[in-house]
Amino acid sequence: MASSSNKPELIVNGRRLDGRGFDELRTIKIVASPLKNAAGSAYIEWGNNKILAAVYGPREATPRHFAESTRAIIKCRYAMAPFSGLSEHGRSGPNRRAIEIAKVTKEVFENVVMLNEYPGSQIDLFIEVLQSDGGTRAAGITAAAVAFAASGIPMRDLPYAVSVGRIGDEVALDFTMIEDNYADSDMPMAIAPRNNDVLLLQMDGKLTREQLSKAVSMAIGAGKGISEIQKNALREAYERSSK
Amino acid sequence: MRIVIPGEVVAERPERMENTYIQEGRTYAKVLGMYDSNGRGIIPLEGAWMPRSDDTVVGIVSEVRNKVYVIDLSYFGRSLLIPGKYEEYSFSVGDVIEARIKEVENRPTIILSEAKPLSEGTVMSVKPRKVLRIIGKKNTMVNQIAGFTKTSIIVGLNGLIWLRGGDIGLASEAIRRVEREAHVSGLTETIRRYLEEKTGTKREMETG
Repeated sequence: MASSSNKPELIVNGRRLDGRGFDELRTIKIVASPLKNAAGSAYIEWGNNKILAAVYGPREATPRHFAESTRAIIKCRYAMAPFSGLSEHGRSGPNRRAIEIAKVTKEVFENVVMLNEYPGSQIDLFIEVLQSDGGTRAAGITAAAVAFAASGIPMRDLPYAVSVGRIGDEVALDFTMIEDNYADSDMPMAIAPRNNDVLLLQMDGKLTREQLSKAVSMAIGAGKGISEIQKNALREAYERSSK
Repeated sequence: MRIVIPGEVVAERPERMENTYIQEGRTYAKVLGMYDSNGRGIIPLEGAWMPRSDDTVVGIVSEVRNKVYVIDLSYFGRSLLIPGKYEEYSFSVGDVIEARIKEVENRPTIILSEAKPLSEGTVMSVKPRKVLRIIGKKNTMVNQIAGFTKTSIIVGLNGLIWLRGGDIGLASEAIRRVEREAHVSGLTETIRRYLEEKTGTKREMETG
């Protein structure tokens, strides 16, 4: 893990290691509905992150006593492939980190999906990280939102997620793995763009009040672009199939 | 017609339309669908089947209990067939049936009636939202496919389709094509040409 003794320079000549400015996103590509058997699915390439998200259901809740009589339940699995990371994720199967990410992801979608339309049922969300380079939970949520929309399950909004943080005195957007490990603060956020409701906010490290508000407005500013990519992916899926 | 995405504003004032919701005086889409600007609402492109009474369904008997059949409709709720006293047919596990929905109870449980056995044949499953397109206006699409391929077809609104006889391969291929291109206009015509072409070439091969 990161330690301050071998901390690399993250800012060289006013630019980040990959040449981005502080408020620049990595390139994002999304393909909607790549999987035939899922109700809805999405594949995202966010910089070097490669992630598949799939939604199955609504189906009968199992075991039966998990079912809620007035609404559907969401079950979420987040998993990193054993070959996804540089070194740390060599062991497959759920671990503390994966369980935590699955929980916060589930809570993002419990707040936007209209669960009361399918009482007694269960909706499964799978997020599989094939290749990771920092910010996988944000990329996973962004892809999962497209998968949910593609499944036709009613939802109030199409959320997106992005991480913001601080390198030294600079607030910066969308950390890569190396920045994530050595930066001074890291804050993934999920936002519903319709009225900028915050659906997820976690933070490592420290931010001052001014830095926090700058980080939030940076995330919301970048969100417009992310939302547009999500919407285009959904539209393209139908234009593609009509050819 | 345009594609709308969940959370997209479809009207700046509150309007009651299918598959929308109203918040703070505006109307928003809640599903991915085609929006008809004449104000008739949003036609969803994907999604689960929402059962209504009187729907015709195709199902498979999955359990036989004392006087009650549990039917698999590939739906998240339960569906039961409770035969009356003078019922004509009796079923065993694995039988394919056609039935009508008598009522949808809460939880949700579907109660079926007027069950008829569908013997032999095969069952295929399609996306429930595409079923109306497969049936077509006044059954035009399904009649056309059945006519060209000489296959008996019964379409259940739950997304299961039963086929028997004729050129089942071509019939299911045509149905798959409708499923894939359901959002494209002029589809009945396209499918007619496709079927003409396929059955035409087949005849030539037989005579040649």
